Amino acid sequence: MDMLLTVIVVIVVALIFDFTNGFHDTANAMATSVATGALRPRVAVLISAVLNLVGAFLSTEVAQTISSGIINEGSSGVDITPTMIFAGLVGAVLWNLATWYLGLPSSSTHALLGGLIGAAIIGSGFDAVNFSAVLTKVVVPAFLSPVVAGAVALVATVCAYRITQNARTRGAEAGFRHGQTISASLVSLAHGTNDAQKTMGVITLTLIAAGYQGADTPPQFWVIASCGLAIALGTYLGGWRIMRTVGKRITDVKAPQGFAAETSSAATILVSSHLGFALSTTQVTSGAVVGSGLGKKLASVHWGVVGRIATAWVVTLPAAALVGGLAAWAASTSIVGLIAVAVVATACGAGLFVLARRHPVTRENVNEEPATDQDDDRRIVSTTVASKEG
Amino acid sequence: MFTLARTAASPGAGQFLGVDWGSFVVVFLVALVATTVIVVFYSIGLRLLAVGSPADGSDERGRRDAPPLSSASVARPRPAVATVGAVLCFAVGVAAVLYGLWLIVPQFH
Repeated sequence: MDMLLTVIVVIVVALIFDFTNGFHDTANAMATSVATGALRPRVAVLISAVLNLVGAFLSTEVAQTISSGIINEGSSGVDITPTMIFAGLVGAVLWNLATWYLGLPSSSTHALLGGLIGAAIIGSGFDAVNFSAVLTKVVVPAFLSPVVAGAVALVATVCAYRITQNARTRGAEAGFRHGQTISASLVSLAHGTNDAQKTMGVITLTLIAAGYQGADTPPQFWVIASCGLAIALGTYLGGWRIMRTVGKRITDVKAPQGFAAETSSAATILVSSHLGFALSTTQVTSGAVVGSGLGKKLASVHWGVVGRIATAWVVTLPAAALVGGLAAWAASTSIVGLIAVAVVATACGAGLFVLARRHPVTRENVNEEPATDQDDDRRIVSTTVASKEG
Repeated sequence: MFTLARTAASPGAGQFLGVDWGSFVVVFLVALVATTVIVVFYSIGLRLLAVGSPADGSDERGRRDAPPLSSASVARPRPAVATVGAVLCFAVGVAAVLYGLWLIVPQFH
């Protein structure tokens, strides 16, 4: 009975994670299209949602291990229990919601890995974690992804402006907007094939670990469908706060820059995943936007915002690990502890939604003037105060 | 190019921080070349489509209070060569998109 309850809770939290993943990461694919007016905000998220759903059904081959080698799983290492998976997911969801509230793009995958690492450390000590794999698979790619995408986008932006006489060529702006729509759609589809499948993997491996499904069997249809729908719904509701940061605050993206940035992102993501050097989607797209800002004469890149995003990337793994560890510590005591963690996590998540409503960002105001750094700082101060009160 | 292919085919060479820098360099160069080719051809296509349009771009946003038309504001018909060239340039983009779809959809390979 306890096992069944645990598995059900894990599946629910996994689907919530999938939802926040869509919610959080649409921003990356669609932000510049919304910012340049290539797509109306509602149309942009609708296209992205459909492509994420399609992507989920296209790619259903799930990984053999949850952590892809970052945690020493298997006979010589730790057994990742459903409770640990639950705790890891809680860490990831809360981190995703916190970064969404602050409007910062950050990698959902890293949050999930962080949460699992925290849970594994609480479960069986520091030996459980393969730190060299953390360095190779998380830390180094996190530095390289934005650099590669940024450099590529910089060159592409310079070319686009040179060739079209600073986009004064008749029809250039509109042409770049059309091109941008297509490359952003490719990014969305690639995201769907990558990310929905991660949640499918988590649910399937939980079912296998609990003995409800045979080992080495593919995900069941309801798992594929619910993961696809969760990520699509999250995408459709849209992380407008993050979209505003990526499309307007890093630099005010114009059509040629948007085209250059999206094309660089699509190319970098596809090339990297097919030449066996995986780079993170979130970090590639954010890096490309910075590159497109540097490539345009007289465009200003707001380094304060970039610095804040970079800080969030550095903090993602430890922060999610901390929450995941705490959750694992409480949830592993008993079923009561597990339910208590679920309740507290729900309360925290709901609290962030309530806080967000005080400065709502919706599809109506997503493109409004790029706020100054001061505004942002004030917002962060108010958050800190609020969290102290809570 | 052959050196690149060989570097990509032999992971393990030149590792530092546990990262396969050889394949990283390949990824960087391929992404750079692919993006640059697509963006350059697409931009040239747009430029060719605009051949013959008024040099001062006056009909992009026609305003009634604009001064009387000068010769720079007169549109001329676009030569067929420019149209064909533009179509060819856009074809590069279309091919890239189709190849991208082929890469994304696992059922194709």
